[in-house]
Amino acid sequence: MLENYFPVLVFVVVGMAFGCMPILLGWLVSPHRPDSEKLSPFECGFEPFEDARTKFDVRYYLIAILFILFDLEIAFLFPWATIFKEITATPEVKLFGFAEMLVFIGVLVIGYVYAWVKGALDWE
Amino acid sequence: MDLKTIIFYVFAALLIFAALRVITARNPVHAALYLVLAFFNAGGLWLTLQAEFLAITLVMVYVGAVMVLFLFVIMMLDIDIKRLRQGFWRNMPLAATLGVLMVAEMALVLSTDYFGPVAFPGTKMGADYSNTRELGRLLFTDYVYPFELASIILLVAIIAAVVLTLRRRKDVKHLDPVQQVAVKHSDRLRVLQMPAEKEGE
Repeated sequence: MLENYFPVLVFVVVGMAFGCMPILLGWLVSPHRPDSEKLSPFECGFEPFEDARTKFDVRYYLIAILFILFDLEIAFLFPWATIFKEITATPEVKLFGFAEMLVFIGVLVIGYVYAWVKGALDWE
Repeated sequence: MDLKTIIFYVFAALLIFAALRVITARNPVHAALYLVLAFFNAGGLWLTLQAEFLAITLVMVYVGAVMVLFLFVIMMLDIDIKRLRQGFWRNMPLAATLGVLMVAEMALVLSTDYFGPVAFPGTKMGADYSNTRELGRLLFTDYVYPFELASIILLVAIIAAVVLTLRRRKDVKHLDPVQQVAVKHSDRLRVLQMPAEKEGE
């Protein structure tokens, strides 16, 4: 079964090379003559006066957690899609395979509408 | 050693390296990025076990979403690394005890007959075997009730996240376009009826 993953391996290797090669080449090829002025932190001509790290707004957290929840919802759709034909082919459970996912998504749509109405998706 | 064993050792070694860096990296952002590497390698290991769906879900959900959330949380906390390291040796005995306990627990569980390699010798499936299909078959027939319960749990999480973190900012001079368009001229201009006055009175 490993042969099936050869394209994935190629993808991973090319992706890694694409990310690492420019850095490696830049490090190998470029002249390297540091001095204290070059290595000092630079901030548009004046001395840097505070930590670069600043607090993020808590609203980023809300967006990220909503993204996770709907991402999980999507993750459930993939096994359902592979099995959908098989479930609906059986006559006694024909609608069941469709309805179970409708109920699942329906419950999450309630949450979506709640977030929307509450203004969680707005960025004032 | 066949190719599969070599691949396993590569993934396992990278996984252990990344996991060690997660707990030893000084910068929490670096630790989070090493955790991403650990997730990728765990996904690779699961792929060699033919658990494709779990592997891709791990990458999609954990790397794509959970780690983004982790990074946001790290950025939000405004961590002072120097101050964090002050209590290191004071907290060390408790942390070490807990760590040893957890390792012992895991070793005990894995060495029993229920979870050891004897209980799960690993199945050899053909190239056309689909783990996703098997998972879907069980999830959407025998385990429909837990599946629907999962949607309720996700709904609770959405509502909890909105309730806990949604704050209206008072200091923003934001205008709602709907209100702006809906303004009538009577809201803005008032015509006063005044009696005419004669000049010189």
